[in-house]
Amino acid sequence: MKDISTSINKVDNEEKISGQAKYVADIKPEGMLYAFTVRAKIVKGKILNIEYPLLPEGYFVVDYRDIPGQNIVKVIFNDMPVFTEKEITYLYEPIALLVGPDKNVLSKLIEGVHIVYQEEEPLFDWIDSVVHYHFDKGEGKRAFSGKKIIEFNYETSYQEQAYIEPQGFIGYMDGEKTTLIGSIQCPYYVKKAVVQALGESEDNVRIIQATVGGAFGGKEEFPSLIGCQLAVALKKIRKPIQLIYEREEDMLVTTKRHPSRVHFKAAIKDNKIHALSADVGIDGGANIGLSGVVLSRALIACTGAYTIENLDISGDVFRTNTVPNGAFRGFGAPQMFFAIEMFIEHLALELGVDPLVFKKDILVKQGDYTSTMGIFRDPVLMPEMICKAMEVSNYQEKRINYDALDSYKGIGMSWFFHGCGFTGSGEKNIIKAKVRLKKEFDKVEILIAAVDMGQGVKTSFRKLVANILDIDIEQVIFNNPDTDAVPDSGPTVASRTMMIVGGLVARATEEVKKRWAEEKFIVEKEYEQPSYIKYDEEKFKGDAYPAYSWGVNVVEVEVDKFTYQVKINKSWSFYDIGKAIDERIVIGQADGGLAQGLAYGYLEVMNHKQGQIMQKNMTDYIIPTAMDMCPMETYLYENPYAYGPYGAKGVGELSLIGGAPAVAKAIEQAIKRRVFKIPVTPEYIMELIKNG
Amino acid sequence: MAKIKFKLNDKFVELDTDPNRRLLDVLRDDFNLTGPKEGCGEGECGACAVLMDQKIINSCCTPLANVIDKEIITIEGFSKTKKFEVIKDAYAKTGGVQCGFCTPGMIIATESLLNKNPHPTDFEIKIGLSGNLCRCTGYNLIIEAVKEAAKAGDGLW
Amino acid sequence: MVEAYLPKDLDECLKILNEKKVKIIAGGTDMLIQNRSHTGMSIGYRNDVLYINNLNELKNIYEDDAFVYIGAALSLEKIMESDIAPKLLKETILEMASPAIRHTATLAGNIGNASPAGDSLVSLYLMDAELEIRSINNTRRVFLKDFIKGVRKITLESDELITKVIIPKLMFEKAYFKKVGPRLSDAISKLSFAGAYQIYNNKITDIRIAFGAVNVTVVRDRLLEKKMIGKTIEELKGMIDLLTSWYDPLIVPIDDQRSNKVYRKEVAINLLREFIENLI
Repeated sequence: MKDISTSINKVDNEEKISGQAKYVADIKPEGMLYAFTVRAKIVKGKILNIEYPLLPEGYFVVDYRDIPGQNIVKVIFNDMPVFTEKEITYLYEPIALLVGPDKNVLSKLIEGVHIVYQEEEPLFDWIDSVVHYHFDKGEGKRAFSGKKIIEFNYETSYQEQAYIEPQGFIGYMDGEKTTLIGSIQCPYYVKKAVVQALGESEDNVRIIQATVGGAFGGKEEFPSLIGCQLAVALKKIRKPIQLIYEREEDMLVTTKRHPSRVHFKAAIKDNKIHALSADVGIDGGANIGLSGVVLSRALIACTGAYTIENLDISGDVFRTNTVPNGAFRGFGAPQMFFAIEMFIEHLALELGVDPLVFKKDILVKQGDYTSTMGIFRDPVLMPEMICKAMEVSNYQEKRINYDALDSYKGIGMSWFFHGCGFTGSGEKNIIKAKVRLKKEFDKVEILIAAVDMGQGVKTSFRKLVANILDIDIEQVIFNNPDTDAVPDSGPTVASRTMMIVGGLVARATEEVKKRWAEEKFIVEKEYEQPSYIKYDEEKFKGDAYPAYSWGVNVVEVEVDKFTYQVKINKSWSFYDIGKAIDERIVIGQADGGLAQGLAYGYLEVMNHKQGQIMQKNMTDYIIPTAMDMCPMETYLYENPYAYGPYGAKGVGELSLIGGAPAVAKAIEQAIKRRVFKIPVTPEYIMELIKNG
Repeated sequence: MAKIKFKLNDKFVELDTDPNRRLLDVLRDDFNLTGPKEGCGEGECGACAVLMDQKIINSCCTPLANVIDKEIITIEGFSKTKKFEVIKDAYAKTGGVQCGFCTPGMIIATESLLNKNPHPTDFEIKIGLSGNLCRCTGYNLIIEAVKEAAKAGDGLW
Repeated sequence: MVEAYLPKDLDECLKILNEKKVKIIAGGTDMLIQNRSHTGMSIGYRNDVLYINNLNELKNIYEDDAFVYIGAALSLEKIMESDIAPKLLKETILEMASPAIRHTATLAGNIGNASPAGDSLVSLYLMDAELEIRSINNTRRVFLKDFIKGVRKITLESDELITKVIIPKLMFEKAYFKKVGPRLSDAISKLSFAGAYQIYNNKITDIRIAFGAVNVTVVRDRLLEKKMIGKTIEELKGMIDLLTSWYDPLIVPIDDQRSNKVYRKEVAINLLREFIENLI
């Protein structure tokens, strides 16, 4: 049998390359209406009165009064209304939908909506803590007394997912069944949210995934909001309706990566790090939503790829009157790894120790305790990966050469990991993933809720099953998830799809294999947590993740000494992802994640001014073009995880995490200054150079 | 309203419509050619790209008035050609496709580039693709695909 | 719904201009974005429009002894492909937008837009470009610098049309355009710079310096340039601080979503330094 890593032609290449794949905007049921969103024009306050224009025949307003169930979007923390009733907590908060057949009429009608507000003073400072976490390891706070203290602050800014396909759904009533087809990562998140908003039975809500034009976390929880809005409209109007955002609306109102601030303090003993304290703040925006979970992933990653015995860690989600922030590939880890990678480097320099020596000394080893006193159970290949990284990138020689004052060149290296799957007991307590395989004659259908959003789920899962059964991939069926057909195998998030869902599918497939002689049957499997995994969410104690993927990025840059513009010349990446189910797919994930991570570090600028996002289109929000990206060399390491299919661990998020610190360190060398925030823009570089 | 004539995917077409409509909407709504996508609606992302007289343009930024007597080829039309087969195989082989939303535009950009320059350097490929944003791939595998197409399709362009 | 006029030839076009109040559209790439409405809806122009992109009379490029003449509706890409377009202009165009935009956008459109960040304007100012402007009864020629009056302000009468961009044929020892964008391609400039010089017997005989996006329109000061003529390269290099102090008051950029004024100013001065330091 072939090594499963050997790449095959992706099963959706043909339809995507020829333009035949159907994305949500390409689906147009007969008699479809359009929905425009009426939005608040103030940042904070109350609605005193709304006056809608006289609606022509066939046009409708849909607002909170039409919600049959609860006016709350079911996310992890339920604090976002489907339509606001009175309170405005951020600019452009949705108030109602205007629905009708002609966009020309709708755009006139929407201008005719008059809202009287009572404005209130908005809050943008990070003072309203709505989630607070704290945990210790070892001696905690006590470890700091009498020790030499070194402290620094780090800051990260917004990042926009910038999927090329904006958010959207179309929906229709199928008898009494509210049916939505959408660009989504999590069919069952949307379903549960719609069931709650409509107060409907499970049977009367059906969610179908259209081809997804990129998501990156942006289509994790946000679609639940507009899915609920559309469902309410469908119930009222009972005709097919399209609710698709255009770019500007998408940029202004959808969730983004949380801006963060990290204050690190180290206690030094014998010129080594004895204890670390972190005070972490993230800006949740106007609703909490997923922010608490994002914060907890960030906090757990507080030591980076290093073992530090004594910890005193706390963090807050701050509520502000800005657009709610949410999931984005990496989910808190990119913020924290930037901060800790810079801090450890800065610490070594403060102590007069070669950063490489300093870091190697505390690098995590197999058997070490994690920040939450879990255990890194599997082998850690980092020393081997680092060694290779330094060799192929010629790191040390370049490091010496670029130290010359006028080189304006730099090389930077980051070390990082990603905890695979949900944090803590989420899989066991909340998700309870189920998978189903249907065997009929010589065919097997995979029935799971995992979404192919470009990361290759359709190919890799068919390949996985075909490989185990030793049958042709054509004998394995995988359709886009439809909640009427597939069980809830959980959301397509947290780098869990192959490791967790794939693991279950592999187990189910083994059973199919045993019973292959039977003509028709169904196999179902449900998630069982490995028995050694025990985690206390309140206390942040125990194994927060069943497994870890690891990475090393090396990045080489050049800074223009007249314009301070950064050019990335080359990158080298080294990833331990357990086992690649398809090498080319993994390389694609590696390249794409790194591009997003690098751009997060030096290119992508997003900010708000008085609650207004300033970069409202793709002209102003700058993501890399082909000209900006560098050649990328990627090396994969096998290090099988016992419960992953063929040993596979998480892939999707890992490659985004190391980009920002690697590029920031390379820029530090090029400009001979320390960097404390990202993105490291030319404007920031100028400031650093001028201020010495 | 005006009578607008142009050639679309090898057929002459005539519409009696508003010349101020965007070519993208006409293709998608009037001809059900949904291969060209709207990603940004302002000429930044290139997902809406089509060929006009063999050259890439953004159909979201093209008023129908500017298409009169021109030849437009969308991905649907281009996918019937031999050059397409070569480009398709190259993208498949290198792994240049992920979510696929930018892909039809990338294929059009590749064709437009190779039409003008059958043996582009890496730098020329980057320029050729510089108006097509991809958020999934980091571009390297797409650049490889263009190189592969140029090689495999030697003599076709 | 606004009216769209689709003239068949230049005469008809000028006649329409004479009779109607219309907005002129060439490639339309920028006008469409400025007047964007919703997906599926017509472009949201506020006035009737006149499309000139189908007028073959406006699509030629030719030269005489002294000038290169570029038709108003000739695409940027066609200018780049031409053998007679000035090298500096071609290099500037390569920095503008993307291949798809360059295939339809025009030089006259970039001029008519009069955006402070219009890249082509910087090099055109540098080369003392002129415009041919026609109305049904008149043809006039005007210097670009006199045509653009401010941010999106131009001196074009309602019956007039830019028909040609006229660029003097110049000889430079070296001429270049440097764009400072937020990324390496397909972006609007934070600022830009163009510099050119000619030298004879080790003395500067012609020197030109222009900045984009650091004032309401392109910054170029001929009096300051005159003060540099006759100097040797070494003399110019020796007076670099004085030179930057001359330009300092002319560079008054703004803060916006793409950059800030401190950066724009500092880098504009840096680019001037770079230009002078690299004189040879």
